[in-house]
Amino acid sequence: MNRDGVIVTILWVAMTAIGEWLAVTARIMPLGAAEQAAVIDEAFTLLLVLAVPVATLVLAFFFYSILRFRAKDGDSEDGPPVRGNNALALVWVLGSLILAVYIIFNPGLKGIRELEASQGADLVIQIEGVQWHWNVRYPDYDLSYDRALQIALPVDTRVRFDITSQDVLHSVWIPAFRMKMDAVPGRVTTLYVTPNKVGDFSMDPNLRVQCAELCGTGHPLMRMDVRVLEQDEFQEWIQEAREQAMGGGMEGMDMSGEMGGEMSGEGMSGQGADDSAKESK
Amino acid sequence: MKPVFKGILWALLGVILGVALLVVIRLAFGLPAWKAGPAVVMGYLFGLSGWLLGVGVWDYWARGWLGRPNKPYTTTGWRRYFDFDTDHKVIGIQYGVLLVVLFLIAGLLAMVVRYELMRPGRDLLNSAEYNTMMSLHGTTMVFVAVATIMGAFGNYLVPIMVGADDMAYPRLNALSFWFVPPVGILLLGAALAGGYDTGWTGYTPLASLTRMGAMFYNLAFLTIGFSSILGSINIITTVITMRAPGLTWGRLPIFVWSILGTAALSMLFTQFVGLAMIMTILDRVAGFSFFDPARGGNPILYQHVFWFYSHPAVYVMILPAFGIALEIISHFARKPLFAYKWAVAGMLGVVVMSAIVWAHHMFTAGLEEKLAIPFMISTELISVPTGMVFLAALGTLWHGRLNLKTPMLFALAVIFNFLIGGITGVFLSDVPVDMHLQDTYFVVAHFHYTIVGGGIFGLFAGIYYWFPKMTGRMYNEKLGKLHFWWMFLGFNFTFLPMFWLGINGMNRRIADYMPQLGGLNMWVSMAAFFLGASFIVFVYNMVVSWVRGEQAAANPWGARTLEWLIPSPPPLHNFPGAPRVLDDPYGYGVPGAVHARVAPAPAPAPASD
Repeated sequence: MNRDGVIVTILWVAMTAIGEWLAVTARIMPLGAAEQAAVIDEAFTLLLVLAVPVATLVLAFFFYSILRFRAKDGDSEDGPPVRGNNALALVWVLGSLILAVYIIFNPGLKGIRELEASQGADLVIQIEGVQWHWNVRYPDYDLSYDRALQIALPVDTRVRFDITSQDVLHSVWIPAFRMKMDAVPGRVTTLYVTPNKVGDFSMDPNLRVQCAELCGTGHPLMRMDVRVLEQDEFQEWIQEAREQAMGGGMEGMDMSGEMGGEMSGEGMSGQGADDSAKESK
Repeated sequence: MKPVFKGILWALLGVILGVALLVVIRLAFGLPAWKAGPAVVMGYLFGLSGWLLGVGVWDYWARGWLGRPNKPYTTTGWRRYFDFDTDHKVIGIQYGVLLVVLFLIAGLLAMVVRYELMRPGRDLLNSAEYNTMMSLHGTTMVFVAVATIMGAFGNYLVPIMVGADDMAYPRLNALSFWFVPPVGILLLGAALAGGYDTGWTGYTPLASLTRMGAMFYNLAFLTIGFSSILGSINIITTVITMRAPGLTWGRLPIFVWSILGTAALSMLFTQFVGLAMIMTILDRVAGFSFFDPARGGNPILYQHVFWFYSHPAVYVMILPAFGIALEIISHFARKPLFAYKWAVAGMLGVVVMSAIVWAHHMFTAGLEEKLAIPFMISTELISVPTGMVFLAALGTLWHGRLNLKTPMLFALAVIFNFLIGGITGVFLSDVPVDMHLQDTYFVVAHFHYTIVGGGIFGLFAGIYYWFPKMTGRMYNEKLGKLHFWWMFLGFNFTFLPMFWLGINGMNRRIADYMPQLGGLNMWVSMAAFFLGASFIVFVYNMVVSWVRGEQAAANPWGARTLEWLIPSPPPLHNFPGAPRVLDDPYGYGVPGAVHARVAPAPAPAPASD
């Protein structure tokens, strides 16, 4: 190998070492509060670890060439008439193919299998998206409330969300759980989460349900707090919630209410409507 | 009458005729005379027809159908750029200028969006206004990204690079261009009609239920789709049938290959987004229920039909940029394009595979669970042909003699930016990871790195590379380099942090976000303003150089493709006599290697007494 090749290889190895060190030590992901988050974070990290040498290989050749092979001003001579190198091209293509196939299996299919293995329905919660709030039902506990401001989940329990929409597409995303599923009118979609860390929105803003499919003007505010509680606290919460919902009172536990003041009157006026809805400031 | 004025007049007549027809039909069926939605559709369809007829279809085409002679074309000088001119060079510049103007306008919209996003709460815009600005920014930019390189440089350069005197269908070419101004009008109309909330993706049911602006967006997409399809037919026919003697497929410049692949995608897939738009319009104005679950429809169907086009569309956006980048890299490294055949195979591989990846946009849409897997597989595999383009780029640079002028800087940036954009795409293609990152700023960063970092930087590479050829003048090199570094730094400072924002819980298309992310959003907005300002340098350089720049030689870069063997700017029919192609245009380092010889003009007939 000629001198340039040696230097580029050293450069590549050095950049890879630094890149890999960063990839495994940097705290990239936010709080993870569910089993599924661990699966997904691991998948992300693996992809990062595999991406680093690919990126550094390209960058090493790229930067070295730009610095080393720059023509001097006024030099208009041609470079060497190298048309290609079939052996190199074959290695390059096969290498990228092997890498692509590998990641299909791991973390692709492996991740999917792990997520599937974590599915369960010890607790079922029904969530319905409506412009621009969520309605929540705990069928196991005979609890339901509209315009939800919060939901609670017992820790270390396999939860199944049955999700639907009353009007347009919405999406249930809980960043701390890393799980997301669209709410589609006319069908029920499913999301499985197993929270494994106690906490709530005031502790970490990623413990929230965020609507993650553009649904109109109220989209950013379509959120609710997620509270992950110990089993006994969860039972207490259920009790209080039922009292609130039954009694119609909305103070104290702050279960439901209007989110944001500007959503009145905005939005769709029925199927096939083509008149502009009034805008509200 | 000047064609643009005639077009506007006939367009207005068309609108009136269309609306009148609607009123008559509605009254005949016992319905109330006026309904806004159908009126917009009928008015637009007749108005568009009037516009096209007035701007040139009548004079230069339709008259012939009725047995009358077509009007002779006599416009000269700068007026040609406002006329139904069939010269591919004029049309290329028409496309280029109009679309770059639209690009800058859409960029201004981005500045407004970023202003709103500087701080977590609501600042300047209410939610409807924000959604509209954001949607118009996306929609306009997508149209620019899809149409500009092919419309401007494909039209201008492909005939010359294959040794032809024009495109296969010159009138069709002019027609394709004149579809584009109505698109601009519609986007303006969308804003005036109340705006729309759906983003450039127009998902149903929201798209058929929200404010009227959404329908203007549907009609705009449909219109530019027509333009794309017609343009692609022209390109493909030209490259297949009009290559000069000796220009075999193996000698075709890589830029022409990239445009050919792009045209194939455009021609085969654009119909699907047209269909998605039509179905949405029908749901809105004619009581159809394609996407209304209450009446047997399926909202997810829209996503399938939409993305069946819109995924290949992103390859329409990047392939020409790859073509320009590889072309420039070879000529500015003064070295043959490394692994040319592999690069072509890579591009064609991308074209074929782009057809089978679309549902990776839908991993969280509520698909039947197992369906995600084949799309994950195909998406991860598409990185293989893409990698072949990188092999060609790096292999060409290695041991080259690099001339780091502005076109080369932009071409190199395409490679650098797309490396980041492409690799982050792999993260998104992994279904588990996508569960978290779908619809977040990670996606926003990914597609800006690929489409802007790759596609738009490629566009600017082409603009600086071919500016001397097209205008006959040199741009200012110092200003070009200034623009490059300003834009490159601004771009990376703006979009790199967005990966972090997405991972940390910021979803897309929102004006209100978690306060903790305020600091980083402020940085991103400042960087975006910095990026936006870089275009002032660009516009100044273009305008001043076009008017007063130094005269350009025929071949200021010492490159080898056919356009550099004719004067700057080229004469009307490009070549004095048909060129004869002897080899490919990458024969650097071989003394005496020649791509083609341009025959001298045929001797004038001897004067007779």
